[in-house]
Amino acid sequence: INKNAFEIKKNKADIQVTGTVTASSGETLPGVSVSLKGGNKVVVTDVNGRYSISVPENSTLVFNYIGYTAKEVAVGSNTTINIALESSNTALDDVVVIGYQTIRRKDLTGATGSVNTGNTEKLVSRSLPEALQGQTPGVAVRNGGAPGQEAVVNIRGLATFGNASPLYVIDGMIADPNTTVSPNDVEDIQILKDASAAAIYGSRAGNGVILITTKKGKEGPAKISITSRYSISQVPKTYDMMDAAEYAATNTKAYQNSGMAVQPGVANYNGRVNTDWVDETLGTGSVQDYNASISGGGNGSKYLISGGYFKDKGVLIAREFERASFRVNTETTKGRFKFGENIAFSSSTSRSPFQGGAFAGNPWYDMFSSVPLIPVQDNALISTNNPGGWGYGSNASINTFSRNQTAIANITSVKSNFAKLLGNAYVDFKIIDGLNYKFNAGIETSFDKSKSIRKDGSWYQNQSPDFSQLSDNRSQFLSYLLEHTLNYNYNFGKHSINGVVGYTEQTTQTDNTFGSGVRLTQSGNDYFTTLTTTSGDGRNSSGNLSKYLLNSYLGRFNYAYADKYLVSLTFRADKDSRFSQDFKTGYFPSAALGWRISKEDFFKVDWISDLKLRGSFGILGINTLANYEYIGVLNQAPDAVFGTGQTTYPGAIQSRLASGDLRWEEKKTTNLGFDAGLFDNRLTVNFDIFRSISKDVLLNPPLPAYVGNLGPTPLVNIGSVQNQGIELNVGYRPKLDGDFKWDIAGNISTVKNKVLSLGNLGIDAETGQPKNYIQSGNTRTQVGRSIGEYYVLKTDGIFQNQAEINAHKAQSAYAKPGDIRYVNTVDGGTNDDINDKDRVFAGSAFPKFTTGLQFNSSYKNFSLSLQLYGAFGQKLYNDVLRELDSYGNSNYRKDINPWTPTNTDTTFPRLGYQFAANDRGINENARGNTDRWVEDGSFLRLRNVELGYSFPTKLISKANISSVRLYVSAQNLFTITKYSGLDPDVVGANANLEPGVDNGNYPSSRIISFGLSVGF
Amino acid sequence: CKRDFEMDNPNAPTLVSFWKNGADATKGINAVYSTFYRTASLYSRWMFYHGILKSDEGFGSGGDGGLNNLMRFNQTNYDDGLTAQTWATLYVGVFRANQVITNVPAISMDDTSKKRIIAEAKFLRALFYFNLTLYYGRPPLMLQPSQPRDVPANATTEQAYAQVAKDLNEAIADLPVSYPATDLGRATKGAAYALLGKTYLQQKMYQQAADAFSYLVTGAGSSTYSLTADYRDNFIITKENNSESVFEIQFSENLSESTDDDTDESRINNTGTSISQFFAPPGVGFSDGAARRWVVDEFLQEKTTTNAQDPRLAASFIFNNANPAGPTATIVYGQTFQSRYGTGPDANGVWFRKLLNDHWKNQEGFRSPNNYRLIRYADVLLMYAECLNGLNRTAEAYPFVDRVRQRAGLATLTVAKPGLNQTQFLTQLKHERLTELAGEGWRWADLARWGDLGPGLASRDADFSGFIVGKHELYPIPQTDIDLNSNLKQNPKY
Repeated sequence: INKNAFEIKKNKADIQVTGTVTASSGETLPGVSVSLKGGNKVVVTDVNGRYSISVPENSTLVFNYIGYTAKEVAVGSNTTINIALESSNTALDDVVVIGYQTIRRKDLTGATGSVNTGNTEKLVSRSLPEALQGQTPGVAVRNGGAPGQEAVVNIRGLATFGNASPLYVIDGMIADPNTTVSPNDVEDIQILKDASAAAIYGSRAGNGVILITTKKGKEGPAKISITSRYSISQVPKTYDMMDAAEYAATNTKAYQNSGMAVQPGVANYNGRVNTDWVDETLGTGSVQDYNASISGGGNGSKYLISGGYFKDKGVLIAREFERASFRVNTETTKGRFKFGENIAFSSSTSRSPFQGGAFAGNPWYDMFSSVPLIPVQDNALISTNNPGGWGYGSNASINTFSRNQTAIANITSVKSNFAKLLGNAYVDFKIIDGLNYKFNAGIETSFDKSKSIRKDGSWYQNQSPDFSQLSDNRSQFLSYLLEHTLNYNYNFGKHSINGVVGYTEQTTQTDNTFGSGVRLTQSGNDYFTTLTTTSGDGRNSSGNLSKYLLNSYLGRFNYAYADKYLVSLTFRADKDSRFSQDFKTGYFPSAALGWRISKEDFFKVDWISDLKLRGSFGILGINTLANYEYIGVLNQAPDAVFGTGQTTYPGAIQSRLASGDLRWEEKKTTNLGFDAGLFDNRLTVNFDIFRSISKDVLLNPPLPAYVGNLGPTPLVNIGSVQNQGIELNVGYRPKLDGDFKWDIAGNISTVKNKVLSLGNLGIDAETGQPKNYIQSGNTRTQVGRSIGEYYVLKTDGIFQNQAEINAHKAQSAYAKPGDIRYVNTVDGGTNDDINDKDRVFAGSAFPKFTTGLQFNSSYKNFSLSLQLYGAFGQKLYNDVLRELDSYGNSNYRKDINPWTPTNTDTTFPRLGYQFAANDRGINENARGNTDRWVEDGSFLRLRNVELGYSFPTKLISKANISSVRLYVSAQNLFTITKYSGLDPDVVGANANLEPGVDNGNYPSSRIISFGLSVGF
Repeated sequence: CKRDFEMDNPNAPTLVSFWKNGADATKGINAVYSTFYRTASLYSRWMFYHGILKSDEGFGSGGDGGLNNLMRFNQTNYDDGLTAQTWATLYVGVFRANQVITNVPAISMDDTSKKRIIAEAKFLRALFYFNLTLYYGRPPLMLQPSQPRDVPANATTEQAYAQVAKDLNEAIADLPVSYPATDLGRATKGAAYALLGKTYLQQKMYQQAADAFSYLVTGAGSSTYSLTADYRDNFIITKENNSESVFEIQFSENLSESTDDDTDESRINNTGTSISQFFAPPGVGFSDGAARRWVVDEFLQEKTTTNAQDPRLAASFIFNNANPAGPTATIVYGQTFQSRYGTGPDANGVWFRKLLNDHWKNQEGFRSPNNYRLIRYADVLLMYAECLNGLNRTAEAYPFVDRVRQRAGLATLTVAKPGLNQTQFLTQLKHERLTELAGEGWRWADLARWGDLGPGLASRDADFSGFIVGKHELYPIPQTDIDLNSNLKQNPKY
């Protein structure tokens, strides 16, 4: 036998084949494995994509590289073979992560959205969720612009009144990616949307699941990558406010029109002060983002080490966010074992003045509403309560309650640090071919501290003169996860079986300590800022510990016959300590079927290369319950007095009720869809239609008094919400051979939200009918309608003359020409007035549809990419505009156009003072609960445009550099919208019930970036 | 390792970790008593509005328009705090008592204490339901710790009183005759008998009532109780928990208190009563409630055996002639009546005095330490007499009225009005109860029992001109409770 083998070998003489492997874009590819087909010879391309291999003549070389379609090339007698590999990003053969398993994309039966991380990396984003906007259908992302602010993500509508955020799984660890995971470290994002895809995460999957896989090293020589980006950010739009002279004139007229004496501060205005409060508060921000990584591997080991620094200096004074991150990902294969770990450490710091609430105001109101006649600071204003001499309103001069944001920035500060360790380690043991056991341990731990300081001083009219104060809060978060899974994979004939079964345990706890004190010790003008330097008698402390456990059994079974018929069954049982004995365990099953109709013999459509129909049904859980809610606690406060000494004796009793039968909110989801590849898979189409009904949604309904409850009413599983929608995702990647290459992907989705039940809310005092809604501000969440629709008075233009007023009975007692006419929906008979009963529904904050578009192209060494995002049909309530246009105690916009007898063609009522005592018409014009402030919030935004240039390989290879790329990009370059506010992408006053209320939303900035990335 | 899915809440004892020992049981029962101090809606203030001001003795005399309207039977909002909050707080007490009654039996502890604590809880539950039945007529009976989804139906008045009687009968067996000095204020056997008697009497079940009262009057308890020599001792802080006190709510002045919410763990609860601030005359308190003048005249009908003014009059009221020598001799919080009110609008005013602190202070506040003698022995004696008279044993009833009159220095009824028939005796008894118990909170119950409530009382108290028979005997059940529970029906004519 030996002899024969020798002779065969001799027959075919080996030749030395060399060449360069490139990507279709022309970039050389290091680390590509080049192997002899049918043999055991393997080499890897070097840093410049070059290889050299000795193979027999007429043999075949196989080129393999992750993320690219494998290619086979006949050698013949060629000694030079240069090839270009096609990226496999849209190919159906690549594998996708689906939770505890990876499967071929072509075998997917659930609704899964993939995000091209090439696109998300182009965005300047503080956190990953923010970058998901518009990337895939069915994922609604609302972004705020504040440094460190978290985006609101809702997958496929809103099915709960509690926490509606999706579950994030980072490299198998269930953890929160917000603001701590560097988007640069992310390799892959999969979004599990329907029950079949998400059911493996059971009780927590109802809001959808986002699987994040971080970058790994690839076998081959060390690769160093350095990226740096510097950006400047600016708010693209502000309200155009009056200057001092304009304000004085308008305010004078307003007071006179209302029959009031002109304000002393306005009457005596001498032209000396003209403060531009917008200028004082708003500036140019900057974002710095630097990352370096080294990766590589060989002999069964792979590694990636990366570090990054991110700093976002916001556009508002005294606000910034900073993050340093470090990551080590490795994997080693030895025999039947595979060991790996992914670990990331990040340290974030955010700094800001006090913000929010009536106390600190909101700069997005105050910078516009502050009166230009008031100086920012003036020695003449120094007083006991105002040692800084800050300028603000006064009843005796100019009556305004706007907060002096510059003063707040000087007097107060909040500094928060988050040091977070997030990672996992695993060992995978191959028991036999096709059967692997994996043990995975994950950890997320965070050491947080937040210190807020308030020095002496005041920043608004009538502020209570509080002591200086300090609060120092510490918190430690710990979550760990242990998972045992068995993966199996078995093929025989046309049958293919794979799946996973597993058992997991997770423990999550938060340990808080709060301390505060007043009257800080001062040394000159400096303050000591530790708790020991506060006055002893006002010192306070408290703390609590919150912990829960989760044990789960999970399993998935996938079966495929001849790639044609696909079945996927998924199951999870979760046992959760947050529920009472009888309800701790919940079961979440799902089933999905797929039919690759294009593989059927009868299916003969040339231009359809692949067509798969999918259907799934399943039950998911939504877990929004806080710890210890199911069981009543004993209140330690009730005391009683007994005895001749009238002594107080301690008591303890349950005072707040608890629902002992609290359980998961449950969401039943049905999904139908298809995936198609057309024209040789150049055009891919994914289509889904779904309906989900959540039930047992937790609410705090009112309780009858006879139960004796004190404190907030307990949660009860009582609500039900339906969401249904359609999602379409289309990608086109032409087969091009020239220098110009491009591809495009677009998506569109629509979700219709409807409340089915809110339980027994008693009787509505307004109508005497059973109450079927929850009111929140100017929105109403009512059975039969979508969550948080506006419920306001309807305006009907301006009264032009007395005859029109007389005809309108409800307002005739007080209205004057120039006042707003409201629709008197409910005729209240004699003495009728416009009141709350006249309110009507005025639209929903949910877009009718949202859409995203991504276009990538290259010409030779240049690249150009565009990303668009649009949301259409949503209504926004502009509360800032309400404040500015109500003729109250604020500055006026330059654009106001008040009605006068000679200026009748306007939507602005006559000018007056909002709070005039003897002019009810003026008072009524300033009503907040009217559709005057409800606007169309539709918008189309150029999320990103990037122009890049890669230096030619020839030029840089001499310096041993494999790639140098320069780019310039613009984010949020333009937004097409009719919305009058600063940014129609509004997070909302209350993420669930008032999602479209712009109450001083921090607008997204326009960000211009310059970037450089270098690879070695 | 073992994972404890039943782990305790580390931030507070829970229903699972609590109710484990005698100390827990004691804390539990203390919390039921704590209900007395909770908010303004019970014995800190509003129970006195319901029992005193709403009756023909008093009226809403101050600036609280809502109160004044309610006192003149003009209520349109059935969720009005004065009625709805009292209902709610009585049920807070019921919820607390139910927790003790349900949870303490399983505790392994000293058996005597255990039985006593459960009996105290039953006494308190009975007291809460007595008030719910008296003022709201048909309360739903919550007898287990509440659950959020509980939707009980109304009990009938008979059922509700039957439950009160059942609780009291059970409590009597295990309550002690008396307590050591450190525990004065807890429910005693005598208190339970007295409240049981009141419960039966309110239903005119004279025999059962007499049987209950007899424990205190002629039975084993008769040695425990006696009338104090000085009537006034029952209303001053230096003579609290005296021999006449059958059940007394203990108040103390806590200067560092910062809340009336007895469940606010971050603050200190007020264990005093604020009624003195609201009943004290102008210049001292808010004078939200005052007395009708006709009550004073009732006292003036009869002099003592020494020809003096009935001493109970000045003990009961502040008015111009509290000292018979007139306004210049009558002292009101350290000043003469004359100098305070002269000929001004308040010159003819009459204010309830029994709950005030003018005997030791010249001002009032929100945390009066003056205990409220909820049931006095004199009340028991008069009720016992009413029972005997109701049983047509009128002659036997005389001695008990005599004891009360003698203590006030009046001639005995045997001497003053011998040989009254049953009807005449009841009429006389009404006078006796008014003069003995004015301004103590039982007048409304008396009028209701006697069937005297009606527009006819308008001659004494103009507020009664708005009284609708068949309606205003009861308060409305809070509308919210009706709305949230279709099993619950509103009171007639509301």
